This record gives sequence, structure tokens and C-alpha cells, in this order.
Amino acid sequence: MCGIAGIFSYHYASSEVNREELRHIRDAMERRGPDGSGEWFSKNNRVALGHRRLAIIDLSEKGAQPMHSEDKQLSVSFNGEIYNYRQLRQSLEARGSVFHSNSDTEVILHLYRQKGLEMVHDLRGMFAIILWDEQKNQMHLIRDPYGIKPLYYADDGWTLRAASQVKALLVSGKVSKIKEPAGSAGFFLTGSVPEPFTLYQEIRQVPAGSIVSIDSLGCSEPKQYFSISKIFSMAHDQKGSVGSERDAQDKITESLTDSLKSHFVSDVPVGLFLSAGVDSAAIAGLSFDLGHKMNALTLAFAEFQGTAQDELPQAKEIASFYGAPHSEMLLSREEFQKDLDSILVSMDQPSIDGINTYFVSKAAHRQGWKVALSGMGGDELFGGYPSFSEVPAMGRWMYLPSRVPLAGELFQLASSFLISAGLLRQPKITGLVKYGAHPADAYFLKRALFLPWELPALLGSEAAREGLRRLQLKTRLRASLKPDPGGDFERIASLEASHYMRNQLLRDADWAGMAHSMEIRVPLVDSVLLQRVAPFLIRSKESNKKFFLAGAAKKNRASLKKRSKTGFSVPMARWLSEEKAASLDAWKDIKMLQRPETHWSRRWAYTAYQKLAA
Amino acid sequence: MKKILALVAEAYGGGGGIAQTNRDLFEALHQKFEIFVLPRKSNPIQSVLPKNIQQEQAVMNRLWYAKKAFQVARREKIDFVFCGHLLMAPLARMISKTKNIPLWVHLYGIDAWEKPSGMVRGAVEHAELVTAISRFTRRKFLSWAGNSPEKVKILPVTYGEVFQPGSKSESLVERYGLTGKRVLLTVGRLAAQEKYKGHDRVIRALPEILKQVPDAMYVIAGEGDDKKRLETLAKDQGVSDQVLFIGYISEKELPALYRTADVFVMPSAKEGFGIVFLEAAASGIPVVGGQEGGSLDALAEGKIGRMIEADNISQLEEALLQGLRLPRVKNEAVERFSRARYAAHAFKMAENL
Repeated sequence: MCGIAGIFSYHYASSEVNREELRHIRDAMERRGPDGSGEWFSKNNRVALGHRRLAIIDLSEKGAQPMHSEDKQLSVSFNGEIYNYRQLRQSLEARGSVFHSNSDTEVILHLYRQKGLEMVHDLRGMFAIILWDEQKNQMHLIRDPYGIKPLYYADDGWTLRAASQVKALLVSGKVSKIKEPAGSAGFFLTGSVPEPFTLYQEIRQVPAGSIVSIDSLGCSEPKQYFSISKIFSMAHDQKGSVGSERDAQDKITESLTDSLKSHFVSDVPVGLFLSAGVDSAAIAGLSFDLGHKMNALTLAFAEFQGTAQDELPQAKEIASFYGAPHSEMLLSREEFQKDLDSILVSMDQPSIDGINTYFVSKAAHRQGWKVALSGMGGDELFGGYPSFSEVPAMGRWMYLPSRVPLAGELFQLASSFLISAGLLRQPKITGLVKYGAHPADAYFLKRALFLPWELPALLGSEAAREGLRRLQLKTRLRASLKPDPGGDFERIASLEASHYMRNQLLRDADWAGMAHSMEIRVPLVDSVLLQRVAPFLIRSKESNKKFFLAGAAKKNRASLKKRSKTGFSVPMARWLSEEKAASLDAWKDIKMLQRPETHWSRRWAYTAYQKLAA
Repeated sequence: MKKILALVAEAYGGGGGIAQTNRDLFEALHQKFEIFVLPRKSNPIQSVLPKNIQQEQAVMNRLWYAKKAFQVARREKIDFVFCGHLLMAPLARMISKTKNIPLWVHLYGIDAWEKPSGMVRGAVEHAELVTAISRFTRRKFLSWAGNSPEKVKILPVTYGEVFQPGSKSESLVERYGLTGKRVLLTVGRLAAQEKYKGHDRVIRALPEILKQVPDAMYVIAGEGDDKKRLETLAKDQGVSDQVLFIGYISEKELPALYRTADVFVMPSAKEGFGIVFLEAAASGIPVVGGQEGGSLDALAEGKIGRMIEADNISQLEEALLQGLRLPRVKNEAVERFSRARYAAHAFKMAENL
């Protein structure tokens, strides 16, 4: 985890880079990189790169950034990890490249020199890269396939500014604070601000698996080089040639082990966030098989002690079973309340989640950790969410009703009436006919926080209308299903990974880890792993394929397979509803949220939004 | 050679900033593009047009204009449509759609600041390229249009090479009785609608200026329906004799007028760009302008001229007094808007379409 920044005065009429401005943007991200900082300005003062460093690979000064090619034609500021950098380095050296450091950053420079932007297909890992090519007078903003590392940019038509955080760009003083209604609408619909939007019109996220290039004419539209649906679609073409079905578990285990091994690459110790669920337990088990001793840490809640919801006993059991030194963080209501303000300050964009990661990262930092593995992504890859069975079922049930003209509107009206009369509780039911039939729409309904017709009450009718118009949510959801991944499981897997995981889970892991200078690594979110297991996953009939993950470790506890998912759950509902702090009262202004049966996440969403958007 | 159909309000045979900007653009492209200009209005054209530029007969009536536009598009097998006014976007879009060719819409300023009708918005959202005159106009446009921001670029204005530093024009000094006077100058329309240009604020600042520079004179060039109000204001402030309304100034005399002034001032609260700032700076006189809107671009964030809060009279007084003390030398910063840079940029954008 590092913080990167860049400025490019690309337009002929623009002013030279203001050095202080770059430093302000960079240092607004100090927590992302407390170990050092660097800056570079081009000779003509039209390009600047900045870097805040959290040293993990090549801790020496040689690994410092921004880093330059020997001829000074290429400069790079990079956040993340290239897990296969040693292999890449070997093949680059074989072809004549001479290295001066042991860092993965330098690999990017040499690889770009050899292959240009095609290099992105060779990189395995999580990365956000700002690369300056002096010869071509071009800047490239590059983001990893899944969008694990964030990269935002603001283009005012004269000057391009890029940084790892929205809030850092706002510090520049030159970036417009005009609101982006699509960001607000997207947040209330889904619980996170969907890329490429942010809450601000001028600031956008580089989409996952995409490149934005900037030259004297300005920004190109993002060029996508990776899509999850395409991997599944390609897997259908090759499924005959990858071995028999009986090999599936072996192949999947092999691929998981390979991914895990690459995620260990580090010059500092790597720990594990351990819950009682299948995902992190599988990582513990596979690490044990690899002979890799790893500290494990579990977040537990004082309030849950001695109840069935307490994950701690089982997590302890898993840790000791795999011989992992284990510790826990016991979160009390007092600490939760004390940190609420700091949580809202740490959030880069409003979010309805991430609080759990915030506290487990806090504990990890206290123990001196810099890097932790997380089991995130297991449910997206192996179909662990209820959406994998429910969304296709909804599609079958709603196929006919959705074909009846106006049925969606009528059902919405009727059910809204029943809700206001107190006869129905679940507001999402109003969208059943309208959204049920198409997998992308049904997926949205399954994940939705609010529905489009609820937005005027939260944002005002003008902002709601403009926001929905600009957001084009349906088009965006459908775009993640192109090319067609080829089946129900593949479609939901593509949707989950391209929306919920990307915009919510990964982004939360980033800000919540960053708040404590922690790098969170996600071995189950890996493009190479996906490519290897996809052909096997699409052949298995079950919608839930978590058994592949549970069965991966050699030393396997039968009980792990049966354990139902609880995850790192926070007793938020109770704590927030009983929270007396006036600062968290914003939701009380909205009539719709006053209904006693309102889910806490809706109230929290409104509160967080008011805090961050105001 | 690629062919462009240019739908504009005015170009050749037209007066004012927009006509000038259109001509600048066409002349940046005409070496490699053939341009067919269709204006809504035009005076008889005196000179020969630059090569590869043809201007059709002006058509005021909207229906006939549309018919003519389609005619030219068909006749010339146009490669793309340039639309020089937002309100013509629906027609331009219709042509680009039926001919399946790209659409380029250029935005000057105020016209693009407010959300237009649904038809205009729908049309402009199909543009392959939108160019805005300033960052401010681009921002305003993007707040109501759903175009992807990467397709909305900036094409500022440029200024004529006729604007050069030099000594005061004796004939103008004599004509307006400016002998021995220190001249503050504003050039711009006096439209009641465009009150924001800030003539009134300069008049309010005058009494304080006169205390320190008794021979100061405020010369206002330009005509319009706000003149009455400004005259009354000057009377109220007791500076009627120090405010001189010289009316409309011909393009020919403009360079000499700038040279005859000591400070150019236009504390505008919202400006699409403000080409007059560039002309004044190129003429070697100190410039004072507002810090909001497009002025920020024209003043190059303070490098071309002093920026003040438009409605802050004491800041204005201070800036004018400072300006009167500054030497009259050409401000090299204005070079950033030079014709050569403008032309190269415009050309590259057209080529990329």
C-alpha cells in the first residue's frame, strides 16, 4: 500500500506544475505510505510525479519512487504489488535488461520499454500505476484487472491530476467540487459509489482493468484490457481441453496454492485475517501445506461472547489446527463509538461497509503488521453468495410477468401502497417484476440498498433524476455481461466481481487498511487464478462451489466444510440504532428512514453520505 | 482532402468575437481541410476568402437554413459537421446521423452554461467532439450534459498579431481629448443582460483613484442598452467628466486604442473567456480582470493580468492604482495563446476526428 500522485499540464495553454500543489496532494495520503516520500518534476515543469511509500519489497533507498529508467525517458509512480516480478525480471534480464534495484517497480519500467502498454497482460498482482513516457509525451494511468488498488483522476481540460484518493485530489484546490449526481445516486442504489463515478463531477476512477492515456490533446477514453465475463466466455471455448472432471479438485487446489505462493512475496512478514468461514480457513490450510507459518488475527465482539454468533472459538480452533500463532481483537461498543468519527474521516468515498476491516487492521497495525492476507473473493469465485441461486430463480419466476405490458409499474404501485400501509416490510419487493427477469437487473435488486423511485426522498427530485440519467445503471450492469459469460453461475460471478466486490469490498479494504497503514492482499482475487479455475468451475453443476475451496487443503477438517458463513459481522445494527451521538442523527430528517422497520444499513448510508458529501 | 460543413451564426462578413473565433478556427484548418461555411447572417464580404474556405449565402430563416445545410452536405460529400452554436446542435446532429459522419460542437461561453432544452441536450450528447472555450465553460457544460468528459476538450481563443506594444496614438488622444490623461480602458458590449462585466464597479472605484491620480480618465468602448444606467451612475458618483463613452470602435482602430490606454480593466464576474484581456496584454498595457469564470483562463491564473474578486471594490482600486504604476511592456505570458499554438492544437483535434 502506497499513495501515488501525478500532475500533467498537457494543454498548450495550461500553466506549469505548481510544486507545492503536488506535495499537498501527495502528503494528504501520508497514511498510505508513512515510510517515506518522493517527488519528481520534468525539466519543462509540465509533469510531476509524487509518491508516499510503505516499504514492503526492497526496503532500501533503491526501491524509492518515483523511479526512472536509466535514460530518464520513463518515470513511474506505483502503488501495489507485482507478485510475479521475479519471473518477469528473469526473462527481462535474459533479453538484456540491466536492473539496479530488487524492486517490482523497476520491472514495470523494463517491461514497458520492451512491450509498451501490452505489458499489462504480463503483470500479476494489484496495481495502480502512473507512468510517464517522455519520448511520446504521454502519461498512462493503469489499474489492475480486478480494481484492487484505486486510482482517481481529475481532468479540467488543461491539466490532469491523478492520485490514489479522492480526498487527496480535493486538497489540490484546483479540482472542482461540483457534485456528480450519478455518484450520489449510485451510492444510494448500491451502498458504494460505482466506478467510474465519484461524488464529484470532475473526479473519476480509472475503471478496473483499464488504461487511461493522456497526451497533448488530453485524456483518452478508458481502454479496457481485462474483463471477467471474457475469461468465463473463453473458458467455454477451452473446457474440453483442460483435463477430466475428476481432475477438477486437483487443478483448483494447484491453482489456489500457486496464487497463495505468489501472494507471500514480501520482504516483511505476512499475516492472515482469520474468520470462522471457509475462505480464510482455506488460506490457513493451504499455507500450512506449503510449510508457511503465518500469524493469524481474528476480530471478535465483546457483545457476542458466549453466543452462537461468536466466531472466535472456531477461528481459534482453525488456527491451532494449522499451527498458526493466533491473536484476537475484542471490539467493545466503547471503542467502536470512540472511532466512529475517525472511520468517517478515513473513508475516501461514502460506504455502508468496511468497519470490520477498519478494526481488524487497527489491531494488526498495533501488532506491528504491515501486510495481511484476506479471504475476500472466495464467495465471488466459488459461488458462495445466495445470489448465485436466487438471481437465476428470480429470472425464471419473473420471466412471464415481466412480459406483460405495464406489469412492472402496476406491481410497483401496488406494493408501494402496501408498504406505506404497513402491510409489507421489505421495500425491495416493489422492484420484483420490473427487475426480476434479466440477470443484471435481478442482481441489482438482490444487492440494492435503495430503489430508483426512493431516491427523490433522499436527494431531491432534480438530483435524483439527473443522477439516474447520468448513471445509466442498467447499461453498466449489462456491460459487465459482455461478452456473455455463458451460464447462470458465470453471469452472477461476473456481476458480483465487477460490481459488489469491486466497488464495495475492495474499496473498503483499501480505505480501512490504509487508515492503519496496512496492505491487505487478496489471494482469491487474482486474474491468473480465475483463468485457471474458470474451465473447471463452469463444468460443475452446483451453484455453490465452495466445496472446492473447503477441500483444497491437504490437512482438512471435515467440520470446516459444513460451517455456514458468518463473516466478520459487526453488531452494527444494535450499536448504531442505540447510538446517542447527535452527529449520527442525520437520517432522522428523512421520513422514509423513520419507519421503525427500516434496516440499519439504510440509515447508516444516509448518515455517512451526509458526513462525506457535505 | 477531408471536407467540413460548418454551421455557424457568423463568420466572414460578421463582426464580434464569435465571428472572429470561427474565422480563426477555419484558418487553422484550411491547409488540410476544405471548409464549407454556412452562416445565419453576414454582411457583404469585401476580401477574397483564404483558400479551401467557401462561405455559402447566409440564411436567416431556420427552415431554409436546414434545407440548405442538407443540400451542401449532400453536394459536397461532407466528412464531418462542425457546429458553432449550441442551438444549431439538433440540425447538426440530424445531418451527422443521416450521413453517418462525426459531429463537432464548439461552445463559446454563456450559451452553454445553463441546461438547454431536451432536444439540444440530446443532440449534443451525440457529438464525437465538444470543444469549450474555457475550463469554466467545460465544467458548466459537463454538469448538464452526459457526454463522456474525455470527449470534451478545450479550444481557447487566440489573438491577432495586429496587437503590439507601442506609443499612444496621437489621433485618438486628440479625438477624445486625452492629452495628459492616464487612461483606464474597458472594451466590451454594454448589454444590460451582461451587467457582470463590471463597468459599474470601475465607476464606483473612480473617486478613490482620482484622489491619487487626478488626471485619470475611464474610457468605455462599446455600445449597448446598459449605457443609460452607467451614465447615471457616473453622475451619482460625481465622475461624469472622467468617464468617457466612446461607443463602438472599429476592428481597425482597436489596436491603437489599447496602446492609447494605460490600464485595461474588466472586473467581470462571469466571462466565457475574455479575448480582450489577451489583446490588451499583447498591446503591452497592464491588465486587471475578475478571478471567476473564463477570465481565470484568459488571465492565465494571474500571469497575464492581475486577478481580483470581481465585486471587491477596494481590491479593484488597489489593482488599478498598481496598474497605473506599472511600465508598459509586452507581457510575454500572453504568448501561451499565440496563433501558432492555437492552430496546431485545433488542427490535431480535427485530424483525430
